[in-house]
Amino acid sequence: MNHTKELISIFSKEIPAKNIVEGCNNEVYAPINEEEFAKAITTLSARDSSLISLFCAESFGKNKGFTLFYAFEKAGSEEIIILQRALKSNHANSIAEQFPSASWYEREIMDGFGVRFDDAFDKRRLFLHERYPDDFHPLLKSFKNEKVKMKSSVKPEDEYQFREVHGEGVYHIPVGPVHAGIIEPGHFRFSVIGETIFNLEVRMFWKHRGIEKLAEGKTPLECVRIAETISGDETVANAVAFSNAVEKISNINVPVRAWHLRTIFLELERIYSHLGDMAGMIIDIAYPVGASPFFILREEMFRQNDALTGSRFMKGIVAPSGLKKDIPEDALGNLSSYLEAFSGRFCEAIKVAHSSSFSVIDRLETTGVVRKDLIKPLHITGPVARASGALTDTRIDHPYGIYGNLGLSRKFLERGDVISRFDLKAAEVLDSVRIIRKMIKEMPKGSVIKAGDIADGYAISVVEAPRGQSVHWLYLKNGVVDRYKVRTASFCNWQAIEHAVLGNIVPDFPLINKSMNLSYAGTDL
Amino acid sequence: MNAFVQYSVLNVLFAVLVSPLFMSLIKKVKALAQGRKGPSLFQMYYNLWKLLKKEVIYSSNSSWIMRVTPYVNITVMAVAALFVPLILIPQPVYGIGNIILFLYLLSLAKFFMALSGLDAGSAFGGMGSSREMTISALIETITIVVFAALAFALKTTNLHEMFLQILESNMLFLNPVLILISISVFIVLIVETARVPVDNPETHLELTMIHEAMILEQSGKNLALMEWSHAIKQLLFMGILINILFPWGIAVALTQYSIVVSMLAFLVKASVLAVAVGLFESSCAKSRLFHLPSLFTIALFFSVITILIEVFA
Repeated sequence: MNHTKELISIFSKEIPAKNIVEGCNNEVYAPINEEEFAKAITTLSARDSSLISLFCAESFGKNKGFTLFYAFEKAGSEEIIILQRALKSNHANSIAEQFPSASWYEREIMDGFGVRFDDAFDKRRLFLHERYPDDFHPLLKSFKNEKVKMKSSVKPEDEYQFREVHGEGVYHIPVGPVHAGIIEPGHFRFSVIGETIFNLEVRMFWKHRGIEKLAEGKTPLECVRIAETISGDETVANAVAFSNAVEKISNINVPVRAWHLRTIFLELERIYSHLGDMAGMIIDIAYPVGASPFFILREEMFRQNDALTGSRFMKGIVAPSGLKKDIPEDALGNLSSYLEAFSGRFCEAIKVAHSSSFSVIDRLETTGVVRKDLIKPLHITGPVARASGALTDTRIDHPYGIYGNLGLSRKFLERGDVISRFDLKAAEVLDSVRIIRKMIKEMPKGSVIKAGDIADGYAISVVEAPRGQSVHWLYLKNGVVDRYKVRTASFCNWQAIEHAVLGNIVPDFPLINKSMNLSYAGTDL
Repeated sequence: MNAFVQYSVLNVLFAVLVSPLFMSLIKKVKALAQGRKGPSLFQMYYNLWKLLKKEVIYSSNSSWIMRVTPYVNITVMAVAALFVPLILIPQPVYGIGNIILFLYLLSLAKFFMALSGLDAGSAFGGMGSSREMTISALIETITIVVFAALAFALKTTNLHEMFLQILESNMLFLNPVLILISISVFIVLIVETARVPVDNPETHLELTMIHEAMILEQSGKNLALMEWSHAIKQLLFMGILINILFPWGIAVALTQYSIVVSMLAFLVKASVLAVAVGLFESSCAKSRLFHLPSLFTIALFFSVITILIEVFA
């Protein structure tokens, strides 16, 4: 924590903020007034910081109005800096020019709270589509969770305006939100010349569930079930991130055994998620023979999860201050011996995909390149970033639980195409297997839950989910959740696909999309 | 003339009734290659039966094109089935079996299918039609050269006469020229039946579809007719390939015994070919759209070699 103090002293010189306070989880809160805000943003932008989340809270602390929180991280520093900006009205200036990833957050805040970013270059609605009534802002405290009266019709001028690309031979392909397969809804507007993609705009948020509103007023124990449902294959990651926030606020020391088991679950989740992606990439290029070994291993993984926790997606096991139940030693022993055989079979499957048919590699190479210079402005995280040469890995950058003691090494590849993402995920699966087996070997005895009172307060919690960095910010007041903000990796990574597809051909889009493994549900809370 | 009517009824009915079997068989082979159980061999019959009972839904933007296309397709395929003797080579040949007419009959069906893809006004139909037409423009010339090579080798443009010739001169089985042409015909078969590496018949990814995208707006009975005519088309190309490589077993006279033997022989030969197609599909991934011409070039290459051999050797 001395380190944090040092950081505060550096910061108070650079950022014109007074009363910088230390948070509970390696974060510093820098309250900043309107006049000094622009200067602070310029400083942070010059310091090469990356915007990891931007959210709003109503009646936070003494401020009855809106408070905006700008969370930044900087490579090489474990601490997260949060600019805390109390608004005097419902108007604010946009920072999307300096931090392009802010655009979606600002539009989200505009929809949720009615805060206007008057100088933003994009002022369209985000998660509330056209048919939601005007002046409808569901995250306001005055709004009660009830049935919404939708507009019966939308005037043509009120319809969502996509970026238009005109010119000779340019035509538009609207795809979705209803697709030919059983997948989640997303609308893709392609501007195409022949088969070459000239521009793509994604429009998400077709099934808004109101998760952040739903969490308000729930006790932490109830709320962990909500965190689990954010996105199916990030169940454990989100539950752990939420629980970690609660534990930091209340200063609960979770037993080591619980953290060992949580680490096992987190890595199991990464394994089955990556297996699904790898199978999906191969199936999307119509080579099911190469994909089926991955599908088989994934199914076996689900059965291991089920045997271990009683749920194929490992739901209902993680809880604030520990785990809901212990895992018996023989179950862990079975998992360890299964994983021993798993590695060999997995490597065999990789070899089949790589060498049995030249046509596989031909499809994957040079397809859908994510350029390295996009990573920071869009805050791309997870395997997508690491396959493009970025060194980000939340497990190492902001260690949580016992990840700091594992001595993990950073894995990355340079080219950023589909095959890099495939190979990187393969390497991560093998890493995860090693971590799990190490955890099982070193498993300490003891209880898996620590009794402790839950205190009021707020904390940020970041976790490396299979798709990348998941950021949770929790504000507990009077023992219940007052504000719960979640930003999964997909929220940022979706915007990367708009750039990755440029210059590729339309039939390669599904492959690029699969290789980036973006969650619709994780974006549309 | 009576014999011609008998041939027509026999050949067309056989093609119509047997064709779905081989669609399912290829699916089964692919499933087994992936370590899955796969559908029943009669799955396509069940699907067709189900679809035939369902109502047809037309897009409000669609015109008469959408309505006639399924009937044009099934009719064209039934007529085309006259050109390819599957179980009986009638003698004399009654003036049917012209290879060029056969190919352009199939083009007529394809033309209507592409129009119907555009007709409903959906984004994918148009995309499928545009891709199909691009591929057709490339493969059409190659198909003509392939069959020209066959005509050069057998000195006739009539399919019936070609097969009869191969059947009568046992030496031709060992003729390397026919093996070269078979490779080309196999590639044409893969392209015309929209299979991997050209298209993926199993995909749900609308952006990668070619053939499936064109019939995405078809429903109910009309969809059944479209799928059925696709199956017949596949069987006809399989029939051509079988009769070039191994016509033995096919009947040349209409007797009960020879017809039964011929049917069984064809089922066995076609099953072997279907397994080969299934294994071929399982062995490679779908090619990049713009790399397809290199596959077509292989077909062109073997056909041109054949013509050179026939002309100069």
